[in-house]
Amino acid sequence: MNMIARDMSHPAGSEATAAAPSPSVELVDVCKSFGALQVIHGINLTIPEGSFAVFVGPSGCGKSTLLRMIAGLEEVSDGLIAIKGREVTDLDPSERGIAMVFQSYALYPHMTVRDNLAFGLKMAHTPAEEIAARVAAAAAILKIEPLMDRRPGQLSGGQRQRVAIGRAIVRKPDVFLFDEPLSNLDAELRVSMRIEIARLHRELGNTMIYVTHDQTEAMTLADRIVVLRDGRIEQVGSPREVYQDPDNLFVAGFIGSPRMNMLTASMQGEERLLLAKTVLPSPARAASGDVVTLGIRPEHLRLVPDNEEGLSAQVDFCEYLGGTQYLYCRLPDGQAIVAEHRDRATVFAGAPVRLGWSTGDARLFDSQGQRLR
Amino acid sequence: MTITDTFAQHPVLSADRPAQMAAAKALRAARARKGAIAYHTAGAAIVLFFAAPFVIAGLSSFRNGTEAQTAPLPPWPTAGFSVDSYRTLDSFGAGIWQHTVNSALVSLATVLLTVLVSLLAGYGFSRYRFPFKNALFVLIIATLMIPFQSILTPLFIILAKLGLNNSLFGLTLVYVTLQLPFSVFMMRNAFDAVPKEIEEAARIDGARDLRLLARVLLPLVLPGVATVAIFAFLNAWNEFLAALVLLSSNEHYTLPVLMMAVRAGRLGAINWGAVQAGVVVMTIPCLFVFLLLQRYYMRGLMAGAVK
Repeated sequence: MNMIARDMSHPAGSEATAAAPSPSVELVDVCKSFGALQVIHGINLTIPEGSFAVFVGPSGCGKSTLLRMIAGLEEVSDGLIAIKGREVTDLDPSERGIAMVFQSYALYPHMTVRDNLAFGLKMAHTPAEEIAARVAAAAAILKIEPLMDRRPGQLSGGQRQRVAIGRAIVRKPDVFLFDEPLSNLDAELRVSMRIEIARLHRELGNTMIYVTHDQTEAMTLADRIVVLRDGRIEQVGSPREVYQDPDNLFVAGFIGSPRMNMLTASMQGEERLLLAKTVLPSPARAASGDVVTLGIRPEHLRLVPDNEEGLSAQVDFCEYLGGTQYLYCRLPDGQAIVAEHRDRATVFAGAPVRLGWSTGDARLFDSQGQRLR
Repeated sequence: MTITDTFAQHPVLSADRPAQMAAAKALRAARARKGAIAYHTAGAAIVLFFAAPFVIAGLSSFRNGTEAQTAPLPPWPTAGFSVDSYRTLDSFGAGIWQHTVNSALVSLATVLLTVLVSLLAGYGFSRYRFPFKNALFVLIIATLMIPFQSILTPLFIILAKLGLNNSLFGLTLVYVTLQLPFSVFMMRNAFDAVPKEIEEAARIDGARDLRLLARVLLPLVLPGVATVAIFAFLNAWNEFLAALVLLSSNEHYTLPVLMMAVRAGRLGAINWGAVQAGVVVMTIPCLFVFLLLQRYYMRGLMAGAVK
């Protein structure tokens, strides 16, 4: 197993993690238009060798289009794409050193699993012994040896996805591209395949680019999250950075579940703000009188005694999730706020509560939605 | 409280349970037997209904010389089996072999050309974006609405100008033309049913153009190809009017034209045996092609209907 892993791993991958990472995929001013409609607006992005980048964003944000442009399945309207220092903007998909795993698996239904894995190598006129060896190695990594003579129609969803990943592995690509590969699987299988993909990345060490709209997948898999909206990059960073240090309201609201509370307030002096008739310390400075948005994640809110600093609110209803409860509350000025309550004590709907937080956990955004630090 | 207790308290099941269960079992068995009998009776009746024409034509083609001259009632040989009718059939035109070969040549060439052209056209209409794509497609489909008899004269003139009059090749081209609208429609649907991702996966795997078509897509649209092939074969094999109009010399006649000559008889006397023998000769290839491809054919017609 060890030997296989070493054999399959990309030689540059292990170097890259040790030394300063060299760029594996570079996008320079990449644009895409369908007719008059521009869907990708000048994307600049560098993905280091061996990293696991996840494109995440709401549907229609252009994340799949961007991935397909890297794959060569979608033409680039403007800009350049380089993979491993080689410009590939106008190369055929098969010449880019990439492999792709599709949401719908896209296995060849008339071929056995073995032939599905071998097809790309046959197309490249690889010698038969090498094909057999590489197919066997990929099958071993994914533990699909017993399925080799079946057809895709005889496999379950999870098995099909393994075969699709196997088809990518045998190509020994520089970059793996995943287009929402787990969306067709049920919840339980999704979790186990997610772990499988993470394991695969650790074993192979290749650069992987993964598209998803599921932020749990993004957070757990990525070492680099690219948040996209309307064909533009909103923020690039590690899961921790994107979660704890969002650049703007969109990223703050998109990452995290349940989403961050966004409360409209106005500045009272440069360091205090007025929110729901209460004056509170502001997490960042802003001009007095400015309308700002205070962002607090539900897990940073706690129930505090009446004499402590905080906001009084009324509980509209509670969600009991076992280990935790979500309290859906309403502030005196009508704004909604969700608080996570880990205490075992039950809180009933209609109860008056006082919500407090430490100022360092809150984030401040200006009226344009940009972060104030 | 155990399950048995629950049942014991149930008023309906309280009495003699083993006897009740046996009775229910017998009732179910009787119902199943009744269903099986009805199913097989209906099936046998339908088989009889559909097989009857073939059986009648087959049997009556084996009546002997004198019997063959009379109307086929009863339609089976009463004076012993004989192949007289087939000998008589062979005496018409340039001989039955020649005409069968003519028909086979025209039909197979029609199948080949139709499949080839509609495969490429269907792929193009399904996958490529080009100006006026939908207008062109509608135009092709619209030709299905033009009665073929109305373009027979122009076709005749065009073939004459091309010097393809009275040739099997010219006839083949006419058949292919008539067959294409339906076939292109069929093949476009077949390609539309193939997920785009499969093609994209193949492109990433390095399959392009004709290799992509042959290695990956063709196996997936095979049901559509079978449907197109069956239709092309049957229509070309059975077509009469165009063959009658466009072919003028005896040795080029296809089987339907020969059959008309047989049907007309000699000196007004119809040889019923020869007619039935011709029917048999004409039916066998159709049956053969259909039975060979019917599995794909059904899948082709159903494509897109479910899922």
